[in-house]
Amino acid sequence: MTATVPLTVLVLVGVGSPALLFALLAVPSLVNRPLPERWTGVLAGSLMTISCAALLVSLLVYGTAGTSTQLISFGTWSSSREGGIAVEFLVDRLSLGFAALSAAIAGVVSAFSSRYLHRELGFDRYFILLALFVTGMLLIALAGNVAVLFIGWEFVGLSSALLVAFFHQRPAAVSNAFRVLSVYRISDAAMLSAAVLLRHVAGSDSLSLLFGGGAATAVLSGTNATMIALLLLVAVAGKSALLPFSSWLPRAMEGPTPSSAVYYGSLSIHAGCFLLLRAAPLLEQTFAVRLLAGGLGAATAVFAGMTTRVQSDVKSSLAYASLTQVGIIVVEIAIGWYTIAFVHLAGHACFRLLQFLSAPNVLHDLHGIEDAIGDRPAAAGGQLSMVTSDRVRRQVFLIALERGFLDRMLDRVVVDPFTRLAHRLTRLDEWLCGAVLPPRWPITVDGGDRDE
Amino acid sequence: MSDARLWLAVLMALPALVIAASYLRLDVERLRRLAVASAIAMLLAALAFVVSPGLRDFSIRSSALSWIPGGEAIVRIDALAATLLPFAAGLWLLTVAVTPRAVLDRQGLRRTAVATLITLASFLTESAVVLLLLSVASLWTFLSALEDPAHRYQRRIVGAYLGISTLLFAVGVGVLVSPAAHNRTIEAAAMWSIVVAALVRKGIVPFHAWVPEVFDHGRLGPAILFNAPQVGAYMTVVLIVPRASPEMLRTIAILALVTAVYGAALALVQTSARRACGYLFMSQSALVMAGLDCTSVSALAGGLLVWLSAGLGFAGLARSVLVLEARRGRLDLTTYHGGYERMPLLAMSFLSMGLACTGFPGTLGFIGQELLVDGAVDVFPMMGFAIVIASALTGLAVLRMYFSLFCGRSEIPAHPSLRLGLTPREAWTFVALVIALVGWGVAPRALVDSRFAVSEAILRQRQERMLEKKAPGVLMNAVTLH
Repeated sequence: MTATVPLTVLVLVGVGSPALLFALLAVPSLVNRPLPERWTGVLAGSLMTISCAALLVSLLVYGTAGTSTQLISFGTWSSSREGGIAVEFLVDRLSLGFAALSAAIAGVVSAFSSRYLHRELGFDRYFILLALFVTGMLLIALAGNVAVLFIGWEFVGLSSALLVAFFHQRPAAVSNAFRVLSVYRISDAAMLSAAVLLRHVAGSDSLSLLFGGGAATAVLSGTNATMIALLLLVAVAGKSALLPFSSWLPRAMEGPTPSSAVYYGSLSIHAGCFLLLRAAPLLEQTFAVRLLAGGLGAATAVFAGMTTRVQSDVKSSLAYASLTQVGIIVVEIAIGWYTIAFVHLAGHACFRLLQFLSAPNVLHDLHGIEDAIGDRPAAAGGQLSMVTSDRVRRQVFLIALERGFLDRMLDRVVVDPFTRLAHRLTRLDEWLCGAVLPPRWPITVDGGDRDE
Repeated sequence: MSDARLWLAVLMALPALVIAASYLRLDVERLRRLAVASAIAMLLAALAFVVSPGLRDFSIRSSALSWIPGGEAIVRIDALAATLLPFAAGLWLLTVAVTPRAVLDRQGLRRTAVATLITLASFLTESAVVLLLLSVASLWTFLSALEDPAHRYQRRIVGAYLGISTLLFAVGVGVLVSPAAHNRTIEAAAMWSIVVAALVRKGIVPFHAWVPEVFDHGRLGPAILFNAPQVGAYMTVVLIVPRASPEMLRTIAILALVTAVYGAALALVQTSARRACGYLFMSQSALVMAGLDCTSVSALAGGLLVWLSAGLGFAGLARSVLVLEARRGRLDLTTYHGGYERMPLLAMSFLSMGLACTGFPGTLGFIGQELLVDGAVDVFPMMGFAIVIASALTGLAVLRMYFSLFCGRSEIPAHPSLRLGLTPREAWTFVALVIALVGWGVAPRALVDSRFAVSEAILRQRQERMLEKKAPGVLMNAVTLH
């Protein structure tokens, strides 16, 4: 028996378990009968463990079989005809490694959350969104075609925004969630546009065209390859908070700590890096985009490194620290150090997860130390003062404190002009309404409340 | 009497029964219960046409009408109509089951039954003259819902726009049935007249201004019932797609794509929930139109699917706005209203239905939009990018509405005695709608295959007509059968 059959089953179990968890939790919630907290915790723990075990074993099976990249197909899902959406997974060491890492981290967070969020309003909602997120991450990791990748991408985006707004009675959480979602939608649109272009150019949406390398990637050439790579880079920048989209990251810290840990500390923020790593063969063909990616990564690392030092809350500080490493990982990918980049990604995801989850305890301990010594512990650092003037330091500090003025810049360049134009068009529509009426009819707008 | 004829009679008799009962001295709440029961029965009867192929391929023809465009079948049931019948029944059920008691009177219930009857009859015919007559009847029903003095202005707006649309439709049909139609130029002019009529009816830019106005300041309920079935899309499938030249179809598709992006963009900045619904409807309805005019089997099948998903999703979304308005008054999107804890089911349903409109994976809308993009990429690549942008903006608009209407506040300002939760009838209707949208999204095969079959039949019809005209060059360029 070849390794394909157990591998197929293991991958199916690995991806299917969190999807099943989502269904098991979402259906009772939809009919307003959420499962009790205890059952939710047990179900989440069991299914996440099954998923993690299946993916780890599949990594083992794949490693021992020593085969090359495999395309596991479960046939077309949407239609029995040719051209329907195919459920395909591209299995190799990289995809299985990232999938196993995602499942393991999700399992740890799931176990942590069932205690951390004990008796919290929305306990079931949290696990529904977490299950959706894990399904999305696994689909991103194993996707064999653009449709599957996009499904995963959307699941991650929506669950992320809804978890930022988890404490939905707080206006700040909700407005920040909307802001996060706005950037994610730019990223989604870029990803889908790349898919549209890929289909138009290559007549297929198979990801082996982007990820396969060699003859497969050679189908794409010149401007088309550059455009697709550029659109993918925009998608990656949006999802991984690279410049100029970094401003959503501190806003995303409104969610509960375990979700911040799994999204912005370890997995979601690395999803973009993983995609870039997968698309490395395409990047190698497009030097300009590779250069741009390296530049963006380096600029993001420097910016986030500065910003993390002036944050006044631990979660924002950790988020920017994560971003620093994400920037460096992108630089490593742009240089072509793929193995180092993946090891860096995996190590950083685990380390930052630990930091995020232990942050509340560390803060608690720190308060204890401060109370004990009667003062704040002495600040470290200060090396910058040896090489720069006061004025430069003040300017750098201001930029870091204002998080690069990125929010204001996006508002001025994108949000304000869009809103102004849309309001003008609304007024034009109102005028157009009356324009069809003969002049003798008065143009007054009566509001009506009675309805059917 | 054949089986199909019997089922059809049952189907038409049910709304007729409610119309008749509305003239009796029946308590309004009882009348509503009768309407809900009739709508459920109608939905089941309509589903019989979907599950039983033997009931399809039925028609009532009149040779006297053979010279009229659209064929001689006054009534016919094929694969297209078989799916649209439960769609119309579902929309009626949604209307009578969730519309708040305070705003649905005897006349309103009667009007919903009349509107459903007209929609059913429209979906059952392919004769242009019958469609024209039904178009007039449906306009009259819609105008009668706006006859109170508070909605005088909106009545005039609707009268002007849809009056022009109906007039153009009549002129187009009139010219097509006249001997002058043998002249190619006159025939093209007649077709353009019908095309503009369909564009106005569907609220396609630049003929769209009446839609947000009627949703915002008119009566939301009748506006949903009039627009959600998208009879304009049906006109397009039966009358325009088989006859229109490739240039005509391309023009419609471009205008539809502009509308899809325009509507989604403007929905994002509206301060009124009703107006945002109006723009969302424009955007969704334009996506359907774009798919129908693409002349690729996949895109056409995608358009037919988006028709169902957007129709149901949008109607559910707009109805939940009505349900909320009944509890809180007019809804302003510039503030947060909160209330998730008091009505989690409505919040989740609203979100699910909104996501179905945006084409979120796991809903029927995703399959439709995916097919739309897939089919359009070869024939009309710009369409793919426009759909992507429209979908991204629609997603933002829906989430903005969700956050504003259900989040951002710990408790909604209302008297403690006020019951804010959903009634069981409302709750089950919304749950059933969400299950339908997600169920078809997760297991879409049968529906998608049937839509493919329909779109192939439509394009075959177009091919035959083109061959009749002996213009094989045009045919080869226009029709791409995948």
